Amino acid sequence: MAENQAKEGWEPKIVAIVCNWCTYAGADLAGISRIQYPPNVRIIRVPCTGRINPFYVMKALQEGADGVLVSGCHPGECHYISGNLTAKRKFATLKRFLNYVGVEGDRTMFTWVSASEGDRFAQVIKGVTQAVRELGPASKLTKKISDK
Amino acid sequence: MENIEKKLREEVRKLLIEKKVDAVIGYEDGTLPLTATPCFIANPDDADKLVWNRFCTQNLAKFVHDLVMQHKESQKRVKPEDRIKKAFGVVARGCTSRSLVIHLQELQYDRSECVIIGVPCTGYVDKKKLATAVNQEEILGGSATKDELFVKTATGEKKIALREVLADNCRTCRFNNPVISDLMVGEPAPPMDAASEYAEVDAFENLPIEKRWAYFSKEMAKCIRCAACRNTCPSCYCRICFAEQSQPQWVGIGDDPSDTQMFQLMRMYHMVGRCVDCGSCISVCPMGVDLRKFLKKLDKDAFELFEHRAGASLDSPAPLSTYKENDKEDFIFNPGGGGH
Repeated sequence: MAENQAKEGWEPKIVAIVCNWCTYAGADLAGISRIQYPPNVRIIRVPCTGRINPFYVMKALQEGADGVLVSGCHPGECHYISGNLTAKRKFATLKRFLNYVGVEGDRTMFTWVSASEGDRFAQVIKGVTQAVRELGPASKLTKKISDK
Repeated sequence: MENIEKKLREEVRKLLIEKKVDAVIGYEDGTLPLTATPCFIANPDDADKLVWNRFCTQNLAKFVHDLVMQHKESQKRVKPEDRIKKAFGVVARGCTSRSLVIHLQELQYDRSECVIIGVPCTGYVDKKKLATAVNQEEILGGSATKDELFVKTATGEKKIALREVLADNCRTCRFNNPVISDLMVGEPAPPMDAASEYAEVDAFENLPIEKRWAYFSKEMAKCIRCAACRNTCPSCYCRICFAEQSQPQWVGIGDDPSDTQMFQLMRMYHMVGRCVDCGSCISVCPMGVDLRKFLKKLDKDAFELFEHRAGASLDSPAPLSTYKENDKEDFIFNPGGGGH
């Protein structure tokens, strides 16, 4: 997006698509425990990671996200039994494919955070923000929107 | 090849006379020399039109799906007791039969609705390679033997070694004989060079990331989004394709390069464990986009990660619709280590 093109004062913009039952609750816990984490993340809550269409990740990158994080329940702890396990397969192939065509691997991150892991959530956000900050503003796959 | 052709015509005629099938999808001679085109045979007398040669390019599974869906649509408003069943025969080589397996696995139609006439395949001629081999001159005629092509152009006759103009996907084909068939015409074909199947993908993986992106964006810049690749692909059969959806609008309609990249990325990503490498999309692409380089990667990943080869067997489920407890987890971001 336009503001990303001016590098000075640039802050990474990260879209986190998280599941309602684990990671979202984990983020909530991080909040009520007053754990500090970078404010670069925009959280989108979905019922389950298995519900996430891999297109969401590609589309977020096109619409100006510098990085996308997908996070759900740990394997075996899915509220819907196996949603996160099928999601794992989708994202394993998606991450490899995007990296293959030349989109840096660190722009698409996948992880598990449970409802009791507020500190891990903060750590994950710190880690992702740091990784994306090192990569700089996204330019590949990004739709160029004119400033006029 | 002549023998196979003769036997094929006989078998098709027999199937039509015995009313085991309502129509057979096969190939007939194209309107230009050294081409073949898909055809539908419903009359036993027309069976002699069928050909089986080096120029049969397109994957016919697409037409099986089309015909079955058309028939189902036509039966929708008929009283249940008056509904008729139809079966379609199809001339299927390895890749076509794998596409049929994918359709059957995805419950698109019943096994009884198609009669698979298996033919052995030793690869087809890539039109674009052939055009390059004759310096883009107009082909006026020609013939093919076991390993050579004789091509007549305005400036004379040229002899071309077949392996030079064979399509890339055929050269490294792993399944050149049908994986399922109701009847088999001819002896199974000798194996192709399947060992070097992923050589091109491996080489591309080893390029620096900026080079890969440069190649990807260069190839995608050629694409005019005519959707010929989608229309010819047997695995692309959705009634409403994401490319035309407006709510949400996945693919922008502007001329931004990222819209085209998004269209191709999304279309290709649909092919995880579903691309049979038949080369139909590449052969119909009017702009010569190197789609195979990217599609083959998905095929490689599906095999490396899930040990799945698209359409190889009716028993192995689509890789993205299932999971295993021991699926690789090395891509999971894990700050500070530990955890589960």
